[in-house]
Amino acid sequence: MSWHLTPAQAHEYAHHRSDDVTAMSVEAHITRCAPCRDLLPDDEAWLARSWADLRDVVDRPRRGPVEFLLSRLGVGEGTAKLLAATPGLYRAWLLATVVVLAAALLAAHHLPRGSLMFAFTAPVVPLVGVALAYGRGVDPAHALTSVTPLSGQRLLFLRTSAVLVPALTLCTAAALLLPSARTPWSAVFWLLPALTLVAGSLVLSRWLPLGAASTVVGTLWLTALGALTASGGTEPLQLLAPQAQAWWAGALIALVCAIAWRVRTA
Amino acid sequence: MSTLSAPVHVRGLTRRYGTRTALEGLDLDLWPGVTGLLGRNGAGKTTLLRCLATDLEPSAGRIRLLGRDPERAAERARIRARLGYLPQNPEFYPYFTAFGLLDYMAVLKELGGRRARHDEVRRGLERVGLTDRRHSRIRRLSGGMRQRLGLAAALLGDPEVLLLDEPTIGLDPEQRIRFRGLVSELGVRSTVVLSTHQIEDVAALCQRVVCLDEGRVVFDGTPGELVDRARGHVWDHDGHPGRGHTAWRLADGRYRVLTPTSAPAGPGLEPVEPTLEEAYLLLTGAR
Repeated sequence: MSWHLTPAQAHEYAHHRSDDVTAMSVEAHITRCAPCRDLLPDDEAWLARSWADLRDVVDRPRRGPVEFLLSRLGVGEGTAKLLAATPGLYRAWLLATVVVLAAALLAAHHLPRGSLMFAFTAPVVPLVGVALAYGRGVDPAHALTSVTPLSGQRLLFLRTSAVLVPALTLCTAAALLLPSARTPWSAVFWLLPALTLVAGSLVLSRWLPLGAASTVVGTLWLTALGALTASGGTEPLQLLAPQAQAWWAGALIALVCAIAWRVRTA
Repeated sequence: MSTLSAPVHVRGLTRRYGTRTALEGLDLDLWPGVTGLLGRNGAGKTTLLRCLATDLEPSAGRIRLLGRDPERAAERARIRARLGYLPQNPEFYPYFTAFGLLDYMAVLKELGGRRARHDEVRRGLERVGLTDRRHSRIRRLSGGMRQRLGLAAALLGDPEVLLLDEPTIGLDPEQRIRFRGLVSELGVRSTVVLSTHQIEDVAALCQRVVCLDEGRVVFDGTPGELVDRARGHVWDHDGHPGRGHTAWRLADGRYRVLTPTSAPAGPGLEPVEPTLEEAYLLLTGAR
């Protein structure tokens, strides 16, 4: 190429028909040669779009590990952002969950009847997480977010999912390490009660703040355990026995229907 | 024009907290423009804004926002898409960046796909002068910057109804002037309600003033009408008029005296043109 572009070369370059070597030479040349730059057609709209695209790439906030993982799993970009942006208390809850489950495992392996600790706390762990996931008092930005179109039930259910997945995963992992866990099915005896308690708190949250609703449900669970222990006639573990699981399943189905009805009629 | 078509239409609004009544039988119609909401602490301003923001359900009465009923969930979501709200002393997730927080709010406001959302976030940051702090964590921002960030969040999506609760707290004079420019521009097409103790902001911005006291509207009119009510009640005096009067010493050594009743000019009392702040003090002090 001569040291100035011919109109033909400019035309080829502008229409992306130059080979790579020529295109690089042209680009190197036009950065310092205004007359040759003027040979190329101006497309202000394209320039503006390209600049905006570039700025968006440079300016875009870095995704956190949870948001990145959720996106890789196919969760929508907006939903991943909402799921990952949980209040600070959620992290504290996650840490507390790990500590409580580790303590329950230690008790199960080293104390007589130590498995009771896991059996009584595992159903409450997801409930506590849900209570800390949404609402005034636990979410610092609640005053800002509560008046957006997505707040209310949709955000509540999203946050509940964000809590349930790690809670159930951690509890299942801990349950599989119990000395009494012989099969995976025998290790998930706590699952239906846990889901039922969470569903109960979601139903109650129609009338009470979520934290208060979870407290009511958690208190009912502990009261039932306490009453059975105090009565002496019935073993508290009967609440989690295979024959009791049918009752938990029935209650869970009823509560899920109540939630679905609430969503439909809202 | 029917009051039902007002962007904000309130009839008989009552809100109780237990046995305490924060708002009692409020009637109000608000149109595009900036309306100042004045009142002492506990007068009901924040409760009114929270009810209008669909954050709080009324105990009794009816609210229509943008022609819709916020008691119905589907309509409430549509209202919220067109509403901006800056709460008093807004709190944020401290580990978010300014950009990240606005992006999160834009997702909650359903402001389109990522690219459209990011453009709106950049516009919001530009409007409140936080572009160069967009990647700073919120915990590293000053109080004034956080306040501006809250304002940017409220402005996302150009809301048709904008509710601002003490928006100028923590802003320096330069930022307040910028804020006034922004709000006055928005007031051309949006219905802006500005609850504040900063009477200068009301005087500078508002076409209409609503004063609340103990949950009731005690004045509703233009700033000029409020000032008119104070004429003949504001005086300058050479010495302190004595107890029982609202008075303070001016820079020139004389005293400004407010008299709730229209007292005739006495010896040494010289009538002066009231300011909006003095008119407001007379209104609330007289009760």
